[in-house]
Amino acid sequence: MRSRFDEQLALLNRELIEMGALCEEVISIAAKALLSGDTDLAKQVKPLGDIIDQKERTIEALCLKLLLQQQPVARDLRQISAALKMITDMERIGDQAEDIAEIIRYLEGRTGNDRGPIGEMATATIKMVTESVDAFVQRDMELATEVMKYDDVVDALFDEVKTSLIDMIAKHPEDGEYALDLLMIAKYFERIGDHATNVAEWVLFSVTGVHRRERMT
Amino acid sequence: MKKHIFRSIVIVALSVLVLSFIVMLTVMYRSLVEEQRQQLGTKLAIVAHGAEEGGIEWLDSLDIKGYRITLIAFDGVVLYDSIADAATMENHLDRQEIVEALQSGTGESRRISSTLTEKTFYQATRLTDGNILRISITSNSVLSILLGMLMPVLLILVATIVISSFLANRIAKRTIGSLNTLDLEHPLNNNTYDELSPLLLRIAHQQRQIESQRSELNKKRDEFSLITQSMNEGLVLLNDKGVVVSINPAAQQVFRTDSSGIGKDFLVVERSSEIRGVMKTAAESGHGQVKLRRLGRRYEINASRIDFNDETVGTAILVFDVTEKSLLEQQRREFTANVSHELKTPLQSIMGRAELIENGLAKPEDISRFVNCIRTEASRLLVLIEDIIHLSQLDEGGELPWENVDLHQIAKETLDVLQDAAGTKNIRLLLTGSPVTVTGVRGLLGEIVYNLCDNAIKYNTEDGLVEVSVSGDEDTAILRVKDTGIGIPTEHQNRVFERFYRVDKSHSKETGGTGLGLSIVKHATLLHNGKIDLRSKAGQGTVITVTLPRH
Repeated sequence: MRSRFDEQLALLNRELIEMGALCEEVISIAAKALLSGDTDLAKQVKPLGDIIDQKERTIEALCLKLLLQQQPVARDLRQISAALKMITDMERIGDQAEDIAEIIRYLEGRTGNDRGPIGEMATATIKMVTESVDAFVQRDMELATEVMKYDDVVDALFDEVKTSLIDMIAKHPEDGEYALDLLMIAKYFERIGDHATNVAEWVLFSVTGVHRRERMT
Repeated sequence: MKKHIFRSIVIVALSVLVLSFIVMLTVMYRSLVEEQRQQLGTKLAIVAHGAEEGGIEWLDSLDIKGYRITLIAFDGVVLYDSIADAATMENHLDRQEIVEALQSGTGESRRISSTLTEKTFYQATRLTDGNILRISITSNSVLSILLGMLMPVLLILVATIVISSFLANRIAKRTIGSLNTLDLEHPLNNNTYDELSPLLLRIAHQQRQIESQRSELNKKRDEFSLITQSMNEGLVLLNDKGVVVSINPAAQQVFRTDSSGIGKDFLVVERSSEIRGVMKTAAESGHGQVKLRRLGRRYEINASRIDFNDETVGTAILVFDVTEKSLLEQQRREFTANVSHELKTPLQSIMGRAELIENGLAKPEDISRFVNCIRTEASRLLVLIEDIIHLSQLDEGGELPWENVDLHQIAKETLDVLQDAAGTKNIRLLLTGSPVTVTGVRGLLGEIVYNLCDNAIKYNTEDGLVEVSVSGDEDTAILRVKDTGIGIPTEHQNRVFERFYRVDKSHSKETGGTGLGLSIVKHATLLHNGKIDLRSKAGQGTVITVTLPRH
């Protein structure tokens, strides 16, 4: 009985890693498309986002099945409930990458590269997503904590982007719409950073049982 | 085991008990009956004698416990009975002992009571008056004796069972105990009872078999790990659940893990989309291939599903480093493109002019210029083809004459030849150093010096300087060519020794040359086991140092 349960937990783990990897992929494609202005690349984001949505449903079903059939307790319960929460955040990362790709198509080939630190922001967010998935894969508490701290960097970068965009509008009022598009993209990146932080928090919870400094089980 | 021993002991004990019981009972009972009969006979004789003398009165006064005395008339009527009232008793004529006594004077019989627990012995004798005197004694029958013995027998039974179980326990414990303390590692060193010897021998035999199989297995495993450890290619083996069974150092490097990756899901080790994709293909179609760029290198990943008896037992992943291969491929492609281009350009210019002359379209005064052009282009082509032949000769490394050559002398001769070319750009040629002899191929050493100096002049600025120095110590000779020319930008420095590689991609004819010069220098130096060092900065000139072993 237990061995079957272990097998299913291993399957859950695999699925989560795959979903995490998909998130990494989708956001790096979106960032690449943004920095190169490649709309063809941006079009690849949507199908990947669909796969992520599908993955979320699969994992959700698996988690519910495990909860009902095995009635797990303690560590197993934490792992499954953390998985349930994590996939929501991962799915949001996928959605936001899709949103970024959508905006890129309206930029008409203009890139985010030449304006402000938005490229830096993209790199920072990709790093956060990759490291949060890494933290989950390796059950690395230190890395998870680092990801949570790194969110401040992304937030600071967002402020920088904002200031530079305000400058831009002041100097080139005709670029107003473009600047707003970039601001939206930056906001999405900032949100993705928040979701990566959430994932890292749930990783911490699944191992220690502590979520946001609060013991839950 | 204990149960078996217990059962056997109980069966033996019970059967002994029952048999001896039966034998004893029969023997004892028989002698008891015989004794009773004799006693009865003696008593009858005494009583008969008394009765003849004293009659019924005497009988009545008689008091013998346990015996019953009856006097019966010859017609069967009971005259006297010591226990019952004679008048109420029935006629006894049909009793067996009476019948016998009437006929022969004495009679006897025994009868078992209706409850089966008592047995009565009768003896009768005929008195002189014709009456019959009967005496009888009642004793317990066999059954009642049996019943009487039931209690002690039951006690014995219980005792038997208790003792049996105790013994069974002890025997079992002793048997099993010595089994449990057997040293199975060294089965033949045990000191136990003989019955175990065959088993121990068998265990020893099996142990030897297992040992030999294990060492065989270990050898195989060691061989396998030795092979995989020293393989340049990465090898990862996964079981049917995708868990890493083996990952060799080359693969560990590519997938940025260490031996701790063994036992983990491969997805934990590597989750890039390329790998996930190729794993999926391998799972579906049996084999997948993908290219992976990582840490500036290119890898080719081959994943194969391992099937055994129509069942997937795992996946093998092979990782090849194809960086060099793809680089060579690229070089070869460029080389082919360059050769065709370099050969075609002069030919086209020759063809064009030749056609003009052939069709009479060229003005007579131009013809000599055209012919001159054709000759120049053709000679350029010739030089190019010679260079290519030269290079392919170097590639094949055929037999070349090795001799002692003075490098300084060669440099001097070369500079003399190049003096004219240098003069057109007003470049000063300078030779320093002292004579150094090296063992080598004269022609090739000449090519090295010539090509280096030729380049130094060709890519120099007006009024520049080319400085050639030859020096050496006991083992090595050093040739240094320094110019004040345009230099080679850093990003091109690695590639200028490739065939047809030009810093100036336009292949300008201005400078002439085939793009093969430095390639020839490189090959000739390698043939002499030498080294080339290139130091240059764009716009500041170039220093090329060739170090050759002298012997």
